[in-house]
Amino acid sequence: MRDLAHRLLTYEADAGKTSEPKEFPSLRVYEKLRQILCEFVGVAGFLSLASRALALARTEAPSLSAARVAADGSLQSLGEFAPQIEIDTVEYPAGEGGVILIDRLLGLLLIFLGEALTLNLVQNAWPGAAFHDSNSGNRRIA
Amino acid sequence: MSTQDRVTINKLTTGVPGLDEIVGGGLPEYSFNIIAGAPGSGKTTLAHQFVFANATPERPALYFTVLGESSIKMLRYQQQYTFFDPAKLSGSIRFINLSQVVLENDLGAVLAEITREVEKANPAVVVVDSFRTMVRKPESDMELQSFIQRLSLFLASWQATTFLIGEYAEDELRDNPIFTVADGLFWLRQTPERNSIVRKLQIIKLRGQDSVPGLHTFRITDAGVQAFSRTFGLSGRVKDPPSHRRLCFGIPELDKMLGGGVREGDSVLVAGSSGTGKSVLATQFIAEGIRKGEPGIVAVFEERPQAYAERATSLGLDLETPQKDGKLTILYLRPLDLSVDETMHSILDAVQKIGAKRLVIDSLAGFEMALSPGFRADFRESLYRMIFALTGIGVTILSTVEVDESFTEFPFSTYSISFLTDDIIRLRYVSIDGQLRKIMVVIKMRGGNHAKDIREYEITDKGVVILGKRLTNYQGLISGIPVHTDRRDLTEEPAQEPGTKSKS
Repeated sequence: MRDLAHRLLTYEADAGKTSEPKEFPSLRVYEKLRQILCEFVGVAGFLSLASRALALARTEAPSLSAARVAADGSLQSLGEFAPQIEIDTVEYPAGEGGVILIDRLLGLLLIFLGEALTLNLVQNAWPGAAFHDSNSGNRRIA
Repeated sequence: MSTQDRVTINKLTTGVPGLDEIVGGGLPEYSFNIIAGAPGSGKTTLAHQFVFANATPERPALYFTVLGESSIKMLRYQQQYTFFDPAKLSGSIRFINLSQVVLENDLGAVLAEITREVEKANPAVVVVDSFRTMVRKPESDMELQSFIQRLSLFLASWQATTFLIGEYAEDELRDNPIFTVADGLFWLRQTPERNSIVRKLQIIKLRGQDSVPGLHTFRITDAGVQAFSRTFGLSGRVKDPPSHRRLCFGIPELDKMLGGGVREGDSVLVAGSSGTGKSVLATQFIAEGIRKGEPGIVAVFEERPQAYAERATSLGLDLETPQKDGKLTILYLRPLDLSVDETMHSILDAVQKIGAKRLVIDSLAGFEMALSPGFRADFRESLYRMIFALTGIGVTILSTVEVDESFTEFPFSTYSISFLTDDIIRLRYVSIDGQLRKIMVVIKMRGGNHAKDIREYEITDKGVVILGKRLTNYQGLISGIPVHTDRRDLTEEPAQEPGTKSKS
């Protein structure tokens, strides 16, 4: 999941370069997942998942300690710390906050839904993008 | 209006094995249906099967969840079923949670949200699960009826086939405006019967379809819901014309007693107490059929197929090779809670798969024990339906039945089912000259004449062997305690041919 999270952040970082960047990549990834998951499980359902993911991520990334999940599921208080938690797209330092948070969120989906459905959700959120391991021939998450 | 002027109603597969037959060939396209039942009765699984069977990228399915089971948990469990195809979740099936709208707004807002999504996706199938959680809000009856009416009209106009799923108790069936609007009403029940659970479904109504009335058994397996029609999937099938062929046992003397064998398509009952050789006779009947190129099915309830085949080997009968060659299937039907309809389904599947001409049910007592207690009460009626259906497609059935040996009576069966059978062969013990010996008599043959002889037989390493003498010097043989008449001991009088008059 950590690798998929990194790919998603890298994808959004690249996309941000060509469009007008308004948000940090990790926030953009989080927002896209929030949109698709709120439709799927409802706001309350997403809120539960996001809170759990954040709690898990904090144990690994203290830089997330100020982040909060709002009632609508959006991530708050992340912006001011964003420079500390964003990935460096050239030299990816494993364990950075943004990657860890997305990793934990995807990890929960993997636990509850399994690999195939998690990948489906990711593909629905990023239609046209290919994040799965194309070498496996079985759409496995790398 | 002539048939050609009538509108054609397309039928969609339900995706539930056995259910298409029950609903009259498939579910009417654009119909507005309700699946009702208690929690755990299989409503969501049934709806999922329909969705997965019909959703396409061009005409997807929208699955609205409301305030019940969360989508994550629902999919976590539903993906365990074999019909669940994760690939369909990319473009063919969309799950949309409406809980926020339901909690924060009125039914009008819910309708607006459904309308918005339907107009956007142009779905072929729409499911609202659980619809009941939405209408428990204190809306007035008129508001609710209006909502249902508008939802039904809208979804039909948008050419969507719809399922509303709701948890309802039996007594809520009457005077419910929702049920009045619905084109189809599927009621799922699960009823405890002593220590067993029996699941049944009923199509209470289905507009425009000739559905099969009554309660149909269903089971939830790893393949999802599987329904078993009361008509065994044979409704509308033309009964095979009566055959004049005779099927032999491969026991020359017995075949002679039967006038050349049992008539094809007959139901034969072999009755006798424990150890009289009922199963041996049944095995010889099947083995002889295979020898003559007639595939067979043996439904066993009291021993495993391997043990059954091994016992046949000890009689010099090879049941292993025909199993490998697809000429014989030994069905082991031992699970408790079985229904006759499920048993029939297994048997019919096997019959169709190998083109079986002979079927052995060994034994009726084992069959009855394998049934859920609730079905045992209907055992006779169920047997009637089963025998009628199977013989109707030309299968010859031999059933064994154990009867309590009595020295005052000569019962044929404990089930009072002799009227269901065309032919009865009775085996029993008799006490003769200080020995417990065995006799056999053909009690009835509906399709023709038969010998009236009482013949002594033995079970040897070649199976049932009828001894070459007719017992004429004893009276009261069928009582089990015959009286010696002081004539020749085990007379040499030849066996009587069917249709000839006995000399004695």
